[in-house]
Amino acid sequence: MIELQGVVKRFGHFTAVDHVDLDIEAGQRIVIIGPSGSGKTTLLRMINFLEKMDEGVILMDGKPVGYRRDKKGRLVMEKPHVICPLRSEIGMVFQHFHLFPHMTVLQNVMEGPVTVKKEPKEDVRKLAMDLLGKVGLLDKKDTYPAFLSGGQKQRVAIARALAMRPRLMLFDEPTSALDPELVGEVFSTIKGLAEEGITMVIVTHQMGFAREMADRVIFMDNGKFIFEGHPEDLFSETMDHPRIRAFLQKVL
Amino acid sequence: MTSRPGSSERCIIRPGAYACALGLLFAILSIAPLRAEDSSRPDQYDLLARGTKLVQEDRLDEAVLVFEQVPAPEPGEDAGVFVRAHMDAAKILFSKEDFKGSERLCREVLSVLPDNIDAKNLLSQVEVAKTPEWIRFLKDMKTFFPTLVKATSMTLILVFITMAVSPIGGFFIALGRISRHRVVSSVFWFYIWIFRGTPLLLQLFFIYYGLPSLGITFDPFTAAVLGLGLNYSAYLAEIMRGAIESIDAGQMEAAKAIGMTYWQAMRRIIVPQTYKRLVPPVGNEFIALIKDTALVSTIAMVELMRAANQIFSATFNVYILAQAAIIYLILTSIFTVSFRRLEDRLGVYENR
Repeated sequence: MIELQGVVKRFGHFTAVDHVDLDIEAGQRIVIIGPSGSGKTTLLRMINFLEKMDEGVILMDGKPVGYRRDKKGRLVMEKPHVICPLRSEIGMVFQHFHLFPHMTVLQNVMEGPVTVKKEPKEDVRKLAMDLLGKVGLLDKKDTYPAFLSGGQKQRVAIARALAMRPRLMLFDEPTSALDPELVGEVFSTIKGLAEEGITMVIVTHQMGFAREMADRVIFMDNGKFIFEGHPEDLFSETMDHPRIRAFLQKVL
Repeated sequence: MTSRPGSSERCIIRPGAYACALGLLFAILSIAPLRAEDSSRPDQYDLLARGTKLVQEDRLDEAVLVFEQVPAPEPGEDAGVFVRAHMDAAKILFSKEDFKGSERLCREVLSVLPDNIDAKNLLSQVEVAKTPEWIRFLKDMKTFFPTLVKATSMTLILVFITMAVSPIGGFFIALGRISRHRVVSSVFWFYIWIFRGTPLLLQLFFIYYGLPSLGITFDPFTAAVLGLGLNYSAYLAEIMRGAIESIDAGQMEAAKAIGMTYWQAMRRIIVPQTYKRLVPPVGNEFIALIKDTALVSTIAMVELMRAANQIFSATFNVYILAQAAIIYLILTSIFTVSFRRLEDRLGVYENR
């Protein structure tokens, strides 16, 4: 469905993502783990065109999308009228939620379909209520985000992303900003989505995601994939990569 | 009697011209053969002559006493001398600020000749003079209040037009300022630099007095609106730019992530969040604006400041300035309270 080939991202002299290939098939649940600064979040943001890649190709349904080359042969991101529709097909959930504080929970969820897709308000309201029911926050629909707990905010953010009916959901450390006792509710919400067969890529420090819902785990270090495979293999006793062993010993 | 012509001459160089005229009158009357003799009453012509002489010698107190002795005329008798003497005395007393005495003499004249115009005039002057200054000032305030209110309406018109125009101008200048386009951004930077960096007074002078020499002429009202509008747009632009940039960058990302364009994100997500943050600084600007409208009085606009100043120059009544100050205070206070309320209302989504 979406494929990254030879993707590179540099910040000055620092290479954050170093020639990465990633193939995301429909229905797959990919979990990316790795130490801080290894390029996980940058990779995720490039999938959603929030970060411009310096080299590489992004293919959607086999066609390169989102970039062209300028006269000097440098990679340039396409104009917003090309990028925005692409983004609207990919949902994103941020570490810090980024709910719209001036809108109620219901308005937050409705905003995308109404403003971007110009769908009729009544239909969107029904959809939004369904989604809020699914994340268990129907009773909070008229509340402003400032009056919600972190876990509730993140569940609203998930509903907001789902309202666009994306083909792919990206989660950027969805539980990292939460108090430990609130991680569970967000975790189980995402797990629920996984069971519905929604395609997702999750960047996380929570090994639980990798263990319980990933059908592919990627371990990233210094901008490169140093492991890609089944979670069983990553957590198995036979895992002999020293970097991974050291990391897992620390977090587990 | 031999000194008469000489004293008449001296009269010419003395200040009271009426005394001179009286001297001549007396000279004519004293030689009139039809003079009525009555030994029981003091001779009115003699008294008038003595009094006039005392005036000429600057012995005013004594002159008043002599003038007062001129008896009231019998019915049918000519009242001319009596009136002259009493009015002279009344004027002397008035000049010495003995308003009571002056008033009494005027009334005596009026009791004989109820329509005497001199007595009436002096009496009204006495009325004015004997009122304490602060009462006169208060009366002025009442008299000129409608003028000030009318001028205040012009001040308010200028304030409201600027309040309507400058946020729109400021918004587009702010967007120009945060543009990633180098040229666009520096054009608007230059605009803000000029209008924030020079006095509003100078800008008004330039528009009203300076531009005509380049062939562009504005009437005072247009020049005032233009000056205030351009100046306040620059200030509001910087406030708005600050407010937009103060919104968490994550908001723009989240908006983009659901597929919004830059402008959709601005309109739906970023700008609405700036409203509450804008109210205190913009409120401050508008309060300053009320006071800054006083500057347009220098380009021939009649608004509160200019009206107050004109009345003050005519009356030297400091209370008029105080009155204008109170009107300004009322306006600024209304603004302060309104913006405070607006801020509270816009903050409903905040958990405080």
